[in-house]
Amino acid sequence: MALLNYPSLYWLFLKNRIKILMEYRMNFLIGATSTIMIQGAGLLTVWVIMSQIPDLNGWTLPQVLLIYGLITLSKSINHMFADNLWTLGRDYVRTGAFDRFMVRPVDPLFHLLADRFCHDGIGNFLVGGVLVAIAAARLGIVWTPGVIVYFAVMVLSGGVIFIALNLMTCVSAFWIMDSVPVTRVVFEMHEFAKYPLSIYPRAIGLLLTWAIPFGFASYFPATRLMGLETPLWQAYGAPLVAAVLLAVALAVWRFGLRHYGSTGT
Amino acid sequence: MIEAVNLTKVYHIPDKDPGVRGAVKALFRPRHTSKTAVKDVSFAIEPGEIVGYIGVNGAGKSTTIKMLTGILVPTGGQVRVLGRDPHRERVANARDIGVVFGQRSQLWWDLALRESLTMVGRIYEVDDARFQRLISEFSETLELKELLPIPIRNMSLGQKMRAELAATLIHEPRIVYLDEPTIGLDLLVKERIRAFIKRINQEKGTTVVLTTHDLGDIEELCRRVLIIDNGVLIYDGSLETIKQRFGKYREITFETAADLNGLDVPTGADVLEKGGRTLSLRFDRTQTSASRVSASIMSQIEVIDLSLKEPDLSMVVKQIYQGGLKETA
Ligand SMILES: Nc1ncnc2c1ncn2[C@@H]1O[C@H](COP(=O)(O)OP(=O)(O)OP(=O)(O)O)[C@@H](O)[C@H]1O
Ligand SMILES: [Mg+2]
Repeated sequence: MALLNYPSLYWLFLKNRIKILMEYRMNFLIGATSTIMIQGAGLLTVWVIMSQIPDLNGWTLPQVLLIYGLITLSKSINHMFADNLWTLGRDYVRTGAFDRFMVRPVDPLFHLLADRFCHDGIGNFLVGGVLVAIAAARLGIVWTPGVIVYFAVMVLSGGVIFIALNLMTCVSAFWIMDSVPVTRVVFEMHEFAKYPLSIYPRAIGLLLTWAIPFGFASYFPATRLMGLETPLWQAYGAPLVAAVLLAVALAVWRFGLRHYGSTGT
Repeated sequence: MIEAVNLTKVYHIPDKDPGVRGAVKALFRPRHTSKTAVKDVSFAIEPGEIVGYIGVNGAGKSTTIKMLTGILVPTGGQVRVLGRDPHRERVANARDIGVVFGQRSQLWWDLALRESLTMVGRIYEVDDARFQRLISEFSETLELKELLPIPIRNMSLGQKMRAELAATLIHEPRIVYLDEPTIGLDLLVKERIRAFIKRINQEKGTTVVLTTHDLGDIEELCRRVLIIDNGVLIYDGSLETIKQRFGKYREITFETAADLNGLDVPTGADVLEKGGRTLSLRFDRTQTSASRVSASIMSQIEVIDLSLKEPDLSMVVKQIYQGGLKETA
C-alpha cells in the first residue's frame, strides 16, 4: 500500500475501534475510571511523601509534578497507539493470527498497531496534561509559542522512546511466544523517570540516560522548562535519541520478522 | 501459475528440560530437534485449476500452503507464484492471492460483517464501485445479505465460513488457497460452499488450491489431487486415475459365529482388519471374485453376516496412506 494511504486506513481502523468501544460502553467507562484511579493513587503517594518531606533532595512539589506529568504524557502516547505490542506474542503469534498480517498487502507492524487503539491511554493523557498545567502554573512557566512547540516535541519524542523500547523487546515474541516479561523489565524502568534523576545513585542516572533513555522523556526537558541550567544535549537531545532508538527498534523488528518466516508459530 | 521445485521445510523445535534450570540451560546451550515437515515436493499448477491437496494429520499440508503464500520461507527448494518469490515479494504477491485458514477467522470479532468487509476492502484498496458490485454479487452467491449487519461473534460456524469466503475474495484474487474450508460444517453448508468455490472457478477462472479431510470436497471439486504423506508427495495426478487404479479392489467384511483363530486367507485377498469375530478382506476383482472369497471363508467357519463395499474415495485414500500406491505403482 502506498504510504499516502496509511493515514486514512488508520482512521478507518480507529473509527471502527471506537464503534466497538461504544458498544461495550460499560467496559469503556470502567477502563477510563480505573486508569484515572490508578493515576490518582500514584499521585497521592507523591503528594503524601512530598508533604512529609517538603522538598525531595531540594526539589519542590511542583517541580516533581512537572517531571511526573511529562513522563505520564509520553507514556500515554505509547499506551494509546502502541499498546498492542504487549500482546503480540499472546494474541497474534501464539494463535497464528499473525499469519494473516503476512498475507495482506500492508505493513505488518502498521497492521498490528492499527488493530487496537487503546482508549485506556486517554485517561493517562488527561492526567498528564492536568499535572503539567498545574505544575507550570505553580512554577510560573509562560506558554509562549516557543515553549509550546518545545513541549510538544519533547512529549512526542518521549512517546517514541517508549514505543521504540517496547517494540524492541516485544520482538522476542517471535522466539519465545510470551514476550510480556521481557517487555516489562525494560518498561518498568520508566518508574525511575517519574522523579528527578539527581536523587538516585549515579548508575541509575547513567542507565536512564544512555541505555534505557527515559530521562529524555521527563527529567531533562523538565529542568529546561523550569529554567534550570541544563546542558544543551540534555535539553534538546530527545528527538535525536528517539529517532536513533526507533531506527534500531525497526531493524530489530525486521530481524524478528525474518525469524518468523523461518519458524512460523 | 504456481510452481514448486524440491520444496523442503525443516522446523527446529527447541528441546526444553522442564523447570527453571531447563530454561536457563536452553538459553546457554540451545539444543533442538529437527522435524522435516515437507520434503522435496515439486509440482506445477496451471491457471484455472482446482487442485485438492490431501494427506493425514501432520502430513505437511498447511506447511506447504504457508510456503506458497509467502508466510514461511522454504528451507530448501523454490516456490514461484505468478513468477514471483512469494516471501520476498510479499506485498505484490498478497494482492493476487486470497487465503482461508479454516480454523481461524480473519474478521473482527465484534464488528458487523459489513464493517469488517469494508476494512478488508480498504486494506486491498478495492475501489467503491467494485466493492459494491462484489457485495451484491456475494449477497446472491453466498446469501450474505442477512449476514451483513451481524457481528462475527454472533454467527454460526457456517455463517462465519461464508463471511470468511467473502472477505477472502473481496479483492478478486487470481489464486485462492483454502486450508480446510469445510471443517466442522454440516452437509448442507458444505454443499453451498462447494457450489460457491466451483462457481468462482468457472466464472472468474480463479485458481484454487484446497486442503481438506473431507473427500466429498475433493470428489465434487477437483479433477486433480496431490497426496502428501509424511512430508513427501506420493501422488500427483487425476482423481480418475487413482479411482481406476484402486477401483479393481473390493472390500468384504464377515461377521462370524466363532473366533477367527487359524483361518486361512483365500488367495487373491489381503487382510485389512481382523477383530475377534469380524474380518475385513480386500481382494482384487481381476484375480478372484466375491463368491470365491466368501466361499473359502464359509467353508472354514460359520458366517452370520457379510457385506461388500464398493470402492469409494475414502477407501482408496486409506489404501494409499497405508502404502498401497507404492505397491502397485
Ligand atoms: N511451527 C512449527 N514448529 C514446529 N513444528 C511444526 C510447526 N508447524 C507444523 N509443525 C510440524 O510439521 C508437521 C506438518 O504439519 P502441518 O501443519 O503442515 O500438517 P497438516 O498436513 O496441515 O496437518 P493437519 O491435517 O493436522 O492440519 C507436523 O509434524 C507438525 O507437528
Ligand atoms: Mg493443516
